Amino acid sequence: MQIVFNIPGSLREFTRDQRAVRVEVEKGANLLQALHALFLEYPGLRDRVLTETGEARRHVNLFVANENVRYTGGLATPVPPGAEVSIVPAISGG
Amino acid sequence: MIGKTLDHYRILAKIGEGGMGVVYRARDEVLTRDVALKLLAHSAVDKVAPGHLLREAQTASSLSHPNICTIHQVGETANDFYVVMELIEGRSLSDLIPPAGLPMETVTRYGAQIADALSHAHDRGIVHRDLKGSNVMVTPEGRVKVLDFGLATRLESAEISELTLSYDSLESKLVGTLPYIAPEVLRGQKGDHLSDLWALGVLLYELAAGTLPFRGNTGFEVTSAILREPTPPLPSSVPPGLASVIQRCLSKEPLERYQRASEVRVALEAVQGAVLQSRRPSEEARGPRMLVLRGMEHLAVKNGDVLLQVGTNKGAFLLRASRDRNKWDVAGPYFHGQGVYAMAYDGRNGKHRLWVSANNMVWGTFLRSSDDFGRTWTNPVEASIRFPAESGASLKNLWQISLGRSDEPEKLYCGAEPAALFESCDDGESWSLIRGLYEHAHRPRWMPSNGGLVLHTIVPDPSNRERIYTAISAGGVYRTDDGGKTWCARNTGVRVMFLPEKYPEFGQCVHKLVLHESRPERLFLQNHGGLYRSDNHGDSWQDVARGIPSDFGFAMLMHPHDADCVYIVPVESEEFRCTPEGHLRVYRTRNAGGSWEALDRGLPQKGAYETVLRDALSTDSLDPAGIYFGTRSGKLYASRDEGKSWKKIAEGLPQILCVKAAVVHLNGFPVAMPKMKSKTANERKAKNKKRVGRGKSH
Repeated sequence: MQIVFNIPGSLREFTRDQRAVRVEVEKGANLLQALHALFLEYPGLRDRVLTETGEARRHVNLFVANENVRYTGGLATPVPPGAEVSIVPAISGG
Repeated sequence: MIGKTLDHYRILAKIGEGGMGVVYRARDEVLTRDVALKLLAHSAVDKVAPGHLLREAQTASSLSHPNICTIHQVGETANDFYVVMELIEGRSLSDLIPPAGLPMETVTRYGAQIADALSHAHDRGIVHRDLKGSNVMVTPEGRVKVLDFGLATRLESAEISELTLSYDSLESKLVGTLPYIAPEVLRGQKGDHLSDLWALGVLLYELAAGTLPFRGNTGFEVTSAILREPTPPLPSSVPPGLASVIQRCLSKEPLERYQRASEVRVALEAVQGAVLQSRRPSEEARGPRMLVLRGMEHLAVKNGDVLLQVGTNKGAFLLRASRDRNKWDVAGPYFHGQGVYAMAYDGRNGKHRLWVSANNMVWGTFLRSSDDFGRTWTNPVEASIRFPAESGASLKNLWQISLGRSDEPEKLYCGAEPAALFESCDDGESWSLIRGLYEHAHRPRWMPSNGGLVLHTIVPDPSNRERIYTAISAGGVYRTDDGGKTWCARNTGVRVMFLPEKYPEFGQCVHKLVLHESRPERLFLQNHGGLYRSDNHGDSWQDVARGIPSDFGFAMLMHPHDADCVYIVPVESEEFRCTPEGHLRVYRTRNAGGSWEALDRGLPQKGAYETVLRDALSTDSLDPAGIYFGTRSGKLYASRDEGKSWKKIAEGLPQILCVKAAVVHLNGFPVAMPKMKSKTANERKAKNKKRVGRGKSH
């Protein structure tokens, strides 16, 4: 099945300037599996979205459809076919 | 029972016995297959309403998952209550744990399967309540099967107190269960999916360490360990990534645990799959490497110019001036909005490379470089500095970029947060963690300071390739004499303000450490309270804080040509941390700490409550030496006469974190040095010539 990832402006340098990219994943995949498929295609995203320990960076929010995965099981959140996944920098600053 | 028939199950042999009842191998005469039949003890059924147990078992029979033992049928005869299950040929997990624990790969593999089983059941509202090693089977193919979902009776508080009192003597069905019971259940709450995650944590601990985390000779001891004692440390062979998963499952407070079994599974898979994840993509897949900044006025740097690299909490700035250091051009901000804690200029071997650590609050810290004075910067596809997956750590920030010795022109070091030293032997192309320091026995007792647990200072000994000094806040000074394999704390005589023991072996909050290449045995140290000198490679330290308004400060700088001359910027007290009485003054010693003089001509002496951070004081290599510093309030000062007089060369910058000055030698040719007075300076000139000679032949 195909999944669409929405890419924030600051990472488009690593997706050849595309604001949305499609990747093919197995049916029933969870977010972590979908992200691995994304990183194979666009390797510059990996270290910017996940830490070395494989967790989402603290100020990176990931949404499956419109739900922040922090509340739906983190990287284990299932990704339904055709769903849009959004990578969004958190509100933060200093 | 052997030979008897229950419903259409003919009992063949007894295969086990547990608290809940006796398990038999039986023959399903209808489907002609062998099954496991558990005949529940009367006592187990009597404790709870039999109807309730039956309902739970029926619900559990709806579970269909490769890691859950399938329940085929639940039944009752006039006398017995029985459960018919998938017959699993294998061994109980509790029988497979060797005294030193299982290999880590096995722990994560089994653990992820158990977590997946829990996740499947929890999603359907079924809680296990009695997860333990003896309830998990492992098939010869290595597949895990969790038994007895929904069959555990609820523990009543009366039972818990009975168990607590009689643990040592009673053959209670609960004896094997107690070490896995979550604290909130011991306090009388109903077990839920979070108490299953606690039990999973106990089981993972047991698999990894070979022993249970909470032990005792009596039920009382076990109970109080579960309720009150911290989880004992896991053996050092357990990778920190796995240890942190186990620790989180074993949070006494249920809300501090993972909230779902699927999160535990993903975390274990991340530990397990780290090797796979860290493989490098092929060169074709690397994508863009350079970031080109358009629309910004860049510096036009000429041979012999002085270059200032200024890192702030909102980006980097570059300044240049010709050798007279009179008029400065400013460019930037580069890395807009990012924290730049470390910069370095590498002019060795004909290079003119700028290094920057750029810390983006959202997307992480990346090491970047420019060979054209900021027009283009590398933007690595992958982070070049990363903690190995098994360390369980992730890079928070880079606080220092240091060049190796001049005879090792391709060597670079980086100091990281969390405290770690990284080394590159190929001009920054690839980096490796110096494990001797990272795995130092003192590490668990280092304490993060205000800025985190940070390795911020790296001083290679110019006369000895095997020796490096580092400073860690708060851990103190560590020295290696064997190229990084082993490290020893070197803090004798350095006082600690914030510990009951004032002169411990380590734990000092050292702010900066400097040495001069002509006197490598002598070091100077600005401590978190205290100013010191060592004349024996850091083996011992003497206080040299005489005639200064405060011995508290961050920055410290060695004069480029005079080994007896050191600069500091004292700040008032640990609490205030601003220049005393509103006077902005740099202090200098010219007799190796014997006395200090204030340098304040041209610096504000009224209402100047400034702070100069540890890397925000720098010098060029000209003679007379230029001295530069930046303040937390964004002002940049320069002196071209070794500190006698000062001039503000920029203001209104963001908070200045680091200042690095360098003289630029383009095309590998040194600039004609001005006439030098000191012997040391002449020696340096000779050395420079030699170095360039090597560069040409390269």
